[in-house]
Amino acid sequence: MKVLIIEDEPELAKDMISYLSDQNYLCELAVDFQEALDKIRFYTYDCILLDLMLPGGSGMKILDELKAEHKEDGVIIISAKNSLEDKITGLQLGADDYLAKPFHLPELAARIYSVIRRRHFGNSNVIEQNEVKIDLLAKTVTVKDEKVILTKKEFNMLVFFIGNKNKVISKSALAEHLSGDLADMLDNHDFIYAHIKNLKKKLQEAGAGNYLKTLYGNGYKWEI
Amino acid sequence: MKLLDKPLKAFASYALIVLACSIPVYFLIIDKIWVHEINEHNLIVAESTKKNLLKLNLNDEQLAEAVKLWNSLQPETKLQPAEKLKPDSTYNVYRENTYMPDKGYDRYHGLVTYFDISGKPYSLTVETNIEESYETIAAITAITVLFFIVLLVGFIKLNKRISAKLWMPFYQTLEKIKAFDLNQQEAIPFEKSDINEFEVMNTSINKLIESNVAVFRQQKEFTENASHELQTPLAVVQGKLDLLIQTDGITDKQSTIIEETNNALSRISRINKNLLLLAKIENQQFLEKERLNIAEPLKEILELLSDMLEDKSLQIDLHRECFVEGNRILIEIMLTNLLVNCIRHTALEAQINIELKEDRLIISNTGSSTLKTEKLFKRFSAAAIQTPGSGLGLSIVKEICKRYNWDIQYDYVNNLHTFTVKF
Repeated sequence: MKVLIIEDEPELAKDMISYLSDQNYLCELAVDFQEALDKIRFYTYDCILLDLMLPGGSGMKILDELKAEHKEDGVIIISAKNSLEDKITGLQLGADDYLAKPFHLPELAARIYSVIRRRHFGNSNVIEQNEVKIDLLAKTVTVKDEKVILTKKEFNMLVFFIGNKNKVISKSALAEHLSGDLADMLDNHDFIYAHIKNLKKKLQEAGAGNYLKTLYGNGYKWEI
Repeated sequence: MKLLDKPLKAFASYALIVLACSIPVYFLIIDKIWVHEINEHNLIVAESTKKNLLKLNLNDEQLAEAVKLWNSLQPETKLQPAEKLKPDSTYNVYRENTYMPDKGYDRYHGLVTYFDISGKPYSLTVETNIEESYETIAAITAITVLFFIVLLVGFIKLNKRISAKLWMPFYQTLEKIKAFDLNQQEAIPFEKSDINEFEVMNTSINKLIESNVAVFRQQKEFTENASHELQTPLAVVQGKLDLLIQTDGITDKQSTIIEETNNALSRISRINKNLLLLAKIENQQFLEKERLNIAEPLKEILELLSDMLEDKSLQIDLHRECFVEGNRILIEIMLTNLLVNCIRHTALEAQINIELKEDRLIISNTGSSTLKTEKLFKRFSAAAIQTPGSGLGLSIVKEICKRYNWDIQYDYVNNLHTFTVKF
């Protein structure tokens, strides 16, 4: 899977590449408007991470360009502005998602995962991990062909883990993913513990392997 | 007191004093003229009487007869023998009117003159009725009062006309300054005036406003820009922490430190996001409006917060509909902040009440002591000790209420912190 990172902050780009490379993504970097434009013209990517404020031009123009050339690349806007107008314009111009800085790298990975899944497996979006089958469209989970009833939050959490296979996810990253914008407001992440416990129990009772591990007391990992 | 009433009052008082002082002056002058005229009249009568009497060349007997007859026919003059010749004298007397008793006392001015007829001294007294002083004073006073009233009415009318015309630009400017709202960041278009002072005033006010608006805008822009600039380095730190936790051989202790750093970091980004949000609200963003039932977003937010509400004792009444007009995002933010604030300060198993009425939302929770109301809605001034929040939540609520002219109130009754938003 090829990912183009359009980001002018080198440290952030480096971290993104470092995290995503472990996830078997092939990352390329463009640090300014012109370089980004050249790359999208000549190559095709599974997902493009687009910073809106670039030296040399606005990220919105890159979206225009993609549209004009009928490119099918998935696009996630990454913006420091967290502005609703940008989000709306971006999504109208064909972006698939919008992520405001600062963000957790697992969140980014999960978003990329879901954009790529949607693009490649539009109609039958089913993830298979050994005996665990997750239907992303129907939002159902089966273990050994037997249905497991999960709550909305448990399902979200499971998909988040699948998008960050073999990575340690911190409690705060998980909390932020689960409560979205509200995570900003919350200081207590203990509620995560209860959800993890329930998810683990339900999967194991259905006969799935023990993939979900608790690490160091503060992190979790989907190991496969 | 209004600006124009002040000179009116001064003018009226001055006119009153002048007119009041004029009453005795008028009286003295009129009386003097009267007396002078009467004196002259008496003198003419006396002189002609004297001359005519002497021309007659009467003998003593005839004279005595004539004097007697004269005195009985002409009561206002009196001719009688005197001891010796004296210089003329005048007198002024009030006497009862014997002929017309209804008239009461009359004032008389008299002249006594001496002359001799064939060697014998005689005195001739000529008396004329003169206007009584109190009548004169009464007449003058009445006229003065009348003129004062005329003056006063004139002053008031003139004043009104002056205020309508002359002071018009001043009042227009005043109205415009009153309506000025720094948040709108719009200069005031003053109307042109041909009066120098008003022009200078308007230009000065405009200058003042312009610099105010510029400073205000700069400050807002600064907040917005600073918040934006902070987002990228924050993202870098966040990314580093996410990578750090992936490295092999991390101990539980190190992991705890990373998690604690994560928590502090999310607090920084929370403050930063809220600052940005405040700046945006103040910069007149989020202008789209729609009409919605508060119960809808409230239910959604309660659903999202369900994890946090599990360990509280909840009492929710959202049966009534409460329609408001506003920006959906802002309304959601307001509700979220109020609820999160409430949850954050409610102890385990404690009570939270949410009640929606037709025109207001009431959110209350148990608490041990009242909060400092004056600090409650101010930025970064935690009203209670140990608030792990951003210190901006309630400021944002206040700012949103301000925009839509909703009234937010805090009360502490029966051990309940109660926030009421009147729509």
